[in-house]
Amino acid sequence: MTGRGANGRRGLRGHAGKTSALARLLHKECIELLEAYRNSESLPSSPVAGDYLVSIPPLVPQLSDAEKISILRAALKECLRLLEDVITREDADFSDEDSEYRRKRKTVRDRLGHLLASTEQLVDGHKFEAEVKEELDGQAAGGSFGLKKWIVRVLQELVHWTGQTSDTLHSLPAEMEKTPKTMSRRTRKGGAGKIRK
Amino acid sequence: MQGWVILALLLSLGVLHSRGQNGPSELAVPHSLTLQPDLPAQTLSLTWQSDSSLFDIEIFHTELMNVVLNETVAVTAGPVTGQRGWTWRSPSPLECTSHSVQIRARNQQSVSQWSPLQTIPGSDIPEKSESYMYPQDKVVPVGSNMTFCCIVKEKYNFKEIMYKGQTMNATRLSRRAYAITVTNQPASDNTGTNVVCCSPMFTLTGAVVFVGYPPGDEGLVCETRDLASAECSWKKGRDTHLRRKINRTNYTLNGRDCLEANEGKTWMCNWKVWEENWTLVARNPLGTVRLTDSAQLADRVHLLAPANVTAVEVEAWNATLKWSWPVAAYKKLEMICQLKLIGHELSSTRNYSGTGLSSVMLEDLWPDVDYTVTVRCGSKHAFWKSGDESAPYSIHTKMDRPDALDVWLWMDSSNTGRVFWKPLSERESHGALVGYKVSQSSAEEDMWTPVSLPPERLNYPIILNNSSDITVAVAAQNPAGLSQPSAVTTPAYRADSQLSVSELLGTHGTFELSWQPNANASRGYVVEWVPTGCRGLCPVNWEKVPESDRSFTVKPDSLEGGVRYTVSVYVLSAGAASLLQRWQGYSQEMIPAQSVVELSVNQTGSDVLLSWKASAMEHQRGFIRGYTIYLANAARLDLVANISDPEVRSYRVKGLPLSSYKFIVKAYTSAGEDMGLTVAIKMEIETAEMLFVGILVPLAAMFCCLILISICCYKKREWVKKAFYPEIPGPKVPGDWSSPQGPLDVKPSPHSLVHIVESPEWDFSKKGLVPVPEEEEEFENDNIEVDTDSDEPALLRYYNHVVGDGSHSNHVSDSSGSSTASGGSTQTEVTYTGIQSPSSSQGVCDGGGYRPQMQSAADPAEPQGEFEADFQDDSLNTGYKPQCSWQLDSPEAENLSGSLGSPTSVTSSQFLLPESSEEKPQSSNTWFHSFLSGKS
Repeated sequence: MTGRGANGRRGLRGHAGKTSALARLLHKECIELLEAYRNSESLPSSPVAGDYLVSIPPLVPQLSDAEKISILRAALKECLRLLEDVITREDADFSDEDSEYRRKRKTVRDRLGHLLASTEQLVDGHKFEAEVKEELDGQAAGGSFGLKKWIVRVLQELVHWTGQTSDTLHSLPAEMEKTPKTMSRRTRKGGAGKIRK
Repeated sequence: MQGWVILALLLSLGVLHSRGQNGPSELAVPHSLTLQPDLPAQTLSLTWQSDSSLFDIEIFHTELMNVVLNETVAVTAGPVTGQRGWTWRSPSPLECTSHSVQIRARNQQSVSQWSPLQTIPGSDIPEKSESYMYPQDKVVPVGSNMTFCCIVKEKYNFKEIMYKGQTMNATRLSRRAYAITVTNQPASDNTGTNVVCCSPMFTLTGAVVFVGYPPGDEGLVCETRDLASAECSWKKGRDTHLRRKINRTNYTLNGRDCLEANEGKTWMCNWKVWEENWTLVARNPLGTVRLTDSAQLADRVHLLAPANVTAVEVEAWNATLKWSWPVAAYKKLEMICQLKLIGHELSSTRNYSGTGLSSVMLEDLWPDVDYTVTVRCGSKHAFWKSGDESAPYSIHTKMDRPDALDVWLWMDSSNTGRVFWKPLSERESHGALVGYKVSQSSAEEDMWTPVSLPPERLNYPIILNNSSDITVAVAAQNPAGLSQPSAVTTPAYRADSQLSVSELLGTHGTFELSWQPNANASRGYVVEWVPTGCRGLCPVNWEKVPESDRSFTVKPDSLEGGVRYTVSVYVLSAGAASLLQRWQGYSQEMIPAQSVVELSVNQTGSDVLLSWKASAMEHQRGFIRGYTIYLANAARLDLVANISDPEVRSYRVKGLPLSSYKFIVKAYTSAGEDMGLTVAIKMEIETAEMLFVGILVPLAAMFCCLILISICCYKKREWVKKAFYPEIPGPKVPGDWSSPQGPLDVKPSPHSLVHIVESPEWDFSKKGLVPVPEEEEEFENDNIEVDTDSDEPALLRYYNHVVGDGSHSNHVSDSSGSSTASGGSTQTEVTYTGIQSPSSSQGVCDGGGYRPQMQSAADPAEPQGEFEADFQDDSLNTGYKPQCSWQLDSPEAENLSGSLGSPTSVTSSQFLLPESSEEKPQSSNTWFHSFLSGKS
């Protein structure tokens, strides 16, 4: 932090742009992944009933960009965990034959990891945690369709949170340019886990 | 007291008995009905107590009280408990909705009352408010029928149930429960078949059904690779379509799990000890397959591949190969090994046997060849199968001297020839050739003179300096050395002209030859075929035939269609080859490539003679069988002649009318005729005839005409004289005209004309020849070209135009100038009645000779302009006008009676021509016209 000057801010803006593009790409791939899964399973396009699996603090305007990104990053982190659980469970239950869905699934998982790594440089030390209301274990009673329904919910969750992150990052560079000091000050004063749950 | 008790019992028994025998109430109601559902099996077990053995059973969907079952069943009581039990299999999962059951006893038509309803709750009871679908994760065989039900979450509406993405017809079971029935289900995909229940907005719930087949594995075979352990394998068989891991086929071999097979990776199972009897059990949720195998270890030896295959010694014709075994126990095994050699166009398989075989010698290899060798072995006794094949190993054999060449000497003249030899194949050369050595020697000089030639040369020219034969020897050379030389002695040259060369017809592109055997053919025969007429470096082909053969077929690959070949059979003996037979022929005849040459056409009178020459032999491409002659007529060809004798090379077309003709001459072979050569001729009259007809005949005709005219004129000379030169009589003057006898030399003024007016009342004393006033002369002179008073001048002018100027001059000369004589006579009594001069007024200008008196019909007093107008009219309208019109036009002519204008002798008052008012005007010009037009 201490060494970050004008070059550092320019570098930050440049990095934010790249991260924004990465998030936009990931969001698109998540949509494609959900579509691929629905197609492979002949599932209807209507959403699976249920609330969002991941909950985060409200993104009120008073929050700084870094705080918003940190909160969204926490949600994405949970999404990645949910996705990996799903992959593990899916591979355990069914044969691991190659398919378009499985290729896209791997791509999304890898890219989500890259996005988390990329956003880490933008959160400026803030650390938040997101809450997951339901877990895969609780869906065991639902049988195989319970797993499939869970996969759809996780993929819906991915689409939602990557979309949120993409939108937030897309509006980031201009605001960051306006309020670099605020970010800096908040970081210095607040430190990590200001709204930690 | 005891008596009252007994009475009461009897009464009560009597009442009971009476109930049992009268009406429904007589059968006891089954009691103690209990329901025991088996949800996965979708069965409901009923147990009850009753003395009856026949029962009516009714099952309802509780909420809507829809009867699901109404059946009468006979049920026996259990021997121990005395309970009666019956099981019902529900078509739909029992969880779909609550089911209620009632039962009553039946004895023929008598039935008891229904037992109280017993109900098993479904998942659609209010206490369970979530969405559910049943059955879950069921595994069923392909083609089975199933009913799925969806229980909709409280406060949600039902929209549809989809099976594999397709909306199905749903029936309502209860307030929240809906069901579909799927028949003849197809096999599932990887993750099963999804059945999804949807509300209008959301995907509520669903189920997965796994539709597949029971295991189809077959063909268990166990063998040993190391002479100790067992390796069992089988064929997977039909795909079960059950990919969910818990539904996969599970394999056990002699009770032990086959881990790799259960992973679905391989279809084999190993065990470290050979057990002779093997049982494989394959099981999945839909069925079980049991496979067995039984064998002794020695009967199931499947050897591993030999390792480290190497060639320890490689020669030109053999090599020694060695290898090692990965299992030591193989060294004591009697085995048979198969070596597969693959070379360039050389492949073979060889078998070797021995105990623990690890080395063999490969024989009968070919020199300078790359071989690839593989080895695989099997147990010799109780051979089970060949072992695994070793990795391929390459060897290259050494070179050796080439084989002897096939040599032939072809003579193209009596003292020149060329020795040919066939190239050696790779199998014959035993190494890349570096060249050839050609040596020749004659009988006189017992000395070989070798010549080295490069490997691409396949012939060498031979020149015989003297009459003695020479022997040529050719040897091929490669790095390993020289081949055995092949010698050939020059055969005697025999030109085709010296022989009776037979015509040879090809058969399907080949030549099928046969000849009479020759006793001298100790070394067989040579069949040689060369393009006929070829000189120098020719494609000479030959084939050596054993002495026992009398026939040979020249294959089409060395023959070319349309080429004439000279095929010779030579007898091979110790000395030079001698010619036995010779043919010429085409393996395949074609139409001539070039038509006839030097085609010419000559006219002889009305005949035409066509002549030509045959084309060169190389263009004939077949034996010429004849010629066809066509006459090209517009777009078609008319056959004129077909000359089937090819030696005839001319044809006369007779009796052609004068015209232009185009002839096409085509040569033909057995394959057809060529395009032909065209020649054109224009038939004309010959020169002498043309001279006769064109010049002499007209000249003769003209001459005859002239003679005839001359004769005619001579015969009619009097008439001609009268007509052209009428005798002019001298003037007869009454009285004494003592004039000197000399010629009358009267020279009137050329400008004086006498106007003679005839009038009955004329007073000669008063009036005579009245000199025409000067004005009138001038008038007439002025109108000399447009004299409208008389037609005669006009007619003459017309004829002058027709016959030429000569007549004009004649006319002038014809005009008598006698008027000049009369002019001088003022007292003459001669009455001139309007004698018309044949000459025009122009003749007046001459002034010489006799001239008839001219009388102008025109009134001198008339204005000049009218004449001009009339003239113009005449000239414009006709140019020539008959005299009748003149009479009409001339007012004075009426007074001249009808003779006016007729020639009149000056000495006579009689008209020279018949008096006819109509004919008079025609007098002088009609005969002239007739004369000119040929009429007499």
